[in-house]
Amino acid sequence: MLKEKYKAEIDEILSRYPVRRSALLPLLYLAQQEEGYVSEPAMKEIASILRLTPPQVYETVTFYTMFNLKPIGRFHIQVCKSLMCALVGSDPLIGWLEAKLDVKPGDTTKDGLFTLSKVECLGACGTGPMMQINSDYYERLTEEKVDRILADLKRDGTSTLKSGPFMWPEPAQRA
Amino acid sequence: MPHAAVDTVTLTIDGHHLTVPKGTLVIEAARQAGVMVPHFCYHPKLKPDANCRMCLVEVEKMPKLQTACSTPVAEGMVVRTATTVVNEAHKSVLEFILANHPLDCPVCDQGGRCDLQDFSHQYTPTTSRFIEVKRVFPKEYFSPLIETQMNRCVQCLRCVRYCDEVMDVKALAPSGRGTMTEIKSFLHHELDCEFCGGCVQICPVGAITSRLSMYEYRPWMLKRADTVCTYCGDGCQITIQTKDNQLVEVMSAQGAGRNNGDLCARGFFGYHVSTHPDRLRHPLIRRDGVLVQATWEEALELVAETAVRLKLAHGPNAFAGLIAARCTNEDLYLFQKFMRLAIGTNHLDSSARYGQINGVRALRRVQGTHRWTVTFEDIVSADALLLVGTNITETNPITGLKVKEAVKKRQATLLTIDSLEPAVGAISNIANLSSHHFSVHPDRFKPAVLGLIKAVVEDGHVDPTLAQRAPAYLQTISDSVQDLSWPAIEAATGGTPESFREAARTFARSARAVILIGQGVLRTADGYGLATTLLDLLLLTGQHGRPGCGLAPLAEENNDQGAVEMGAVAEYLPGPGDLSDPAARSRVAQLWKEDLPQEPGLTLMPMLERARAGALKAMFIVGENPVGSLPLSAKAKEALQSLEFLACQELFLTETAQLAHVVLPACSYAEKDGTFTNTEGHVQAVRHAIDPIGESRPDWEIFSALSVLMGYPLEYGDAKEILKEIRSLIPDYGRLGPAPTPMRPATEAVDGYLHTGYATDAADRYALSGTGHEARGAGNDGHLTLLIAQSLFHSGKLSTRSKGLLQVQAEGSLTLNPADAARLGLADRDQVRVTNNLGAMTTTVMLAERVPKGLVLFPEHFDQEARRLLTVSTDPVTQVPYYKLTQVTIERL
Repeated sequence: MLKEKYKAEIDEILSRYPVRRSALLPLLYLAQQEEGYVSEPAMKEIASILRLTPPQVYETVTFYTMFNLKPIGRFHIQVCKSLMCALVGSDPLIGWLEAKLDVKPGDTTKDGLFTLSKVECLGACGTGPMMQINSDYYERLTEEKVDRILADLKRDGTSTLKSGPFMWPEPAQRA
Repeated sequence: MPHAAVDTVTLTIDGHHLTVPKGTLVIEAARQAGVMVPHFCYHPKLKPDANCRMCLVEVEKMPKLQTACSTPVAEGMVVRTATTVVNEAHKSVLEFILANHPLDCPVCDQGGRCDLQDFSHQYTPTTSRFIEVKRVFPKEYFSPLIETQMNRCVQCLRCVRYCDEVMDVKALAPSGRGTMTEIKSFLHHELDCEFCGGCVQICPVGAITSRLSMYEYRPWMLKRADTVCTYCGDGCQITIQTKDNQLVEVMSAQGAGRNNGDLCARGFFGYHVSTHPDRLRHPLIRRDGVLVQATWEEALELVAETAVRLKLAHGPNAFAGLIAARCTNEDLYLFQKFMRLAIGTNHLDSSARYGQINGVRALRRVQGTHRWTVTFEDIVSADALLLVGTNITETNPITGLKVKEAVKKRQATLLTIDSLEPAVGAISNIANLSSHHFSVHPDRFKPAVLGLIKAVVEDGHVDPTLAQRAPAYLQTISDSVQDLSWPAIEAATGGTPESFREAARTFARSARAVILIGQGVLRTADGYGLATTLLDLLLLTGQHGRPGCGLAPLAEENNDQGAVEMGAVAEYLPGPGDLSDPAARSRVAQLWKEDLPQEPGLTLMPMLERARAGALKAMFIVGENPVGSLPLSAKAKEALQSLEFLACQELFLTETAQLAHVVLPACSYAEKDGTFTNTEGHVQAVRHAIDPIGESRPDWEIFSALSVLMGYPLEYGDAKEILKEIRSLIPDYGRLGPAPTPMRPATEAVDGYLHTGYATDAADRYALSGTGHEARGAGNDGHLTLLIAQSLFHSGKLSTRSKGLLQVQAEGSLTLNPADAARLGLADRDQVRVTNNLGAMTTTVMLAERVPKGLVLFPEHFDQEARRLLTVSTDPVTQVPYYKLTQVTIERL
């Protein structure tokens, strides 16, 4: 139950809004953080916290693509498929990832480590093709780079190749 | 309700000049000018959403096309709805919709009455520029009564908005986005809601349809009859649609009747009762202890002969009659006339005795009216609404919608005194909208009302003119409530003095205040007294008699009000006039050209007592089922078995009819003509939709035939002739108009009450004792209070023969608070044994947060076993039997 584990956070979120139901998105994020996706019990609990009906919570979850309705892997790979990245090769990149991981977009690898998704523009058009894994950006991707990232993640749970979510101005030390 | 002068705006639409109130939407103004602007998402009941883009119109001096559904009129506006540009826009919208809409019209139940079909016919060229494959949604089971075909959906979201804005249920979710938006409930779960059918009615295409009549008809094959629903006192206008004498579907046209086209599950899905295979099709006569089929001649002659014989032997007062308030006014009127003239007794009663009579008697006592002094419109435009003892959503769903509209759309303040707690659930809960909610146990409404009155008196909200008009009255009540202690009130109700003070302030300061009372008051001990006390509240605040203010007791059965007005109760003659009032007697006697019986009539409970004692010899029971309704401890069965002769007129072989010597098959409301009077006193026409089932006949016709055979002919050609006679006695029945004019309180009656009338029972009414507030430790000693309550999905026992409603609720289960369940070690769906000193029953439990701790609810419609646990007490004044509450213990099986 979220309410027991995150009482203080929930209270803080609720205190931000004069209208109770406005807290819906932040609470959904909290739920997603906890389980990697928004589960049915979480939706019901959030509905009861906000005095909404479960269908009202459900409709919001389905509207936003960033909420997952089914469990995802430990690393959620979201590859930008918008125009800019497509021009510099996001399609072959997705193909490479599909082959390496043996999954189709939307699916999770059998070991439960990686979920592959295609997403719309992530705002890093100058450094495409790019992808976001959990909350980190990986840019100017090449097939070798992707291989190294996947190996790093498998081994260490993190990778030094990440560029962080903040893109501008570009850090001076990076070439 | 018209408020002072309304600002108006003059504009031109397609060359028509018209003047409309400021704030009117262009689409509505166009409608008034006779110009139909095509639309999908707009609906007069809903807030504009402008999502379908179908209603685009050209407005002079505005650079782009505007959506007529969301643009308010402005002075001098020039609107064109039929230009080439507009036409092109409409065509494009349709082209987009048809890019996905399947062409399955031949198998679509909406085909022939579909907005998309009509607009396509009007606009679309035969080609489309879209070559893409149409979207296909995987088919999912949606619910037992409502079917979705999402491929047909035009995504106007009318269903979702109706479910939220009007019903306050919020069971539908548009899931996904864009073209792939799909109407669902919650994930893959089937729909669990009020099943009002509103989404089916409001869907402009065939995306949401009724499963009850799926694929059974083409709309143009259906024959229609506008009539009135019989499942509660709200009196909703319904259109029954039939094919080959079979009931196919029920709908209610937008704006129709007092319900404005809205219905509840009972009205929308409960119609199959009339054609149930168990309907009695032939008269039955008891031969050698068994009921066997007979002809009408045999049966009627047997009844008439026996009646004449017993009357000669024992006199007319050895007879009694009982009638259901589901009958038409014409049936009820002729029933009492038959009993009073052909038989010659006043021993007659109707199911209005179960509660409605409490409200009517209180109104007559205090203000001299037998009806509400408010209408549904007054509820909608009220500033403050006080609901006492009514779970209005479940008992009177459409009056409930008026309350919801007042609160949600007109910002009225809602005060509630009821046993249910606010909690979001599958069905709406009026307490959720309340700003001053007192959640008290069902036997403690009185202390809560007294708390309000005490706050009114102590905080100076008393009408200043009352001190001159009725000093003694004011003094008595002030003294009585000041003698009550706040701690005692708080102990009984859980409400703090501050909460009562705030509620009292809000209520007393409102210009238009309506008090609605339901079964929790009318069918619970002290109901008559508490209804009177609530009128005191209005008198004290000065709201009594003000337009738009008043007390409104909610009728449970469709014609409870009519039963009283027709004189189908022991104490009243048609009018109603008091049986003991010489003027009323002579008026009726003059019209009937015959003297009325003198002896005061017996009401239901004394009737049964007298039958048990052997003093009553014969009874006529029409549509009533005391054996199936009253608790076993009332010994109704023993009473009826002691009779020498029992004649029943029934739709089904009920527990009561099984005891009869003769059973005569009667028509249901769907097979007869007449009138019903709804809870607000509005008389509405009932029209037959199908031919009588089997050999059944309307009840009035049976009385008439019997009277002829008994030698006291009461002959009428049709129901209209009876209505004509009713009109000559009760002028209110002259108009069957679209809106009733509410009654005004009679000044002499109010003065009489204020000077002397109040005093007879003031001491009792203003005492906290006897209200069950004594320490009872609900829950602590393992005892819980069992309340036999009405469910949204049923009405009495009648609706338990409706196949549609049975799919939503097929059996009774005990609803209790999760905390109580945890304490008792119970989980949802567990089997339990419910026991008290009278007996035991087994049932399953359901958990619901809106049921307060210490209380358990069981639906009355399935109470065959629960009736073992109940005792009956009778109101000392109105003789209403009270049996809805008892103490029980629960153990897991």
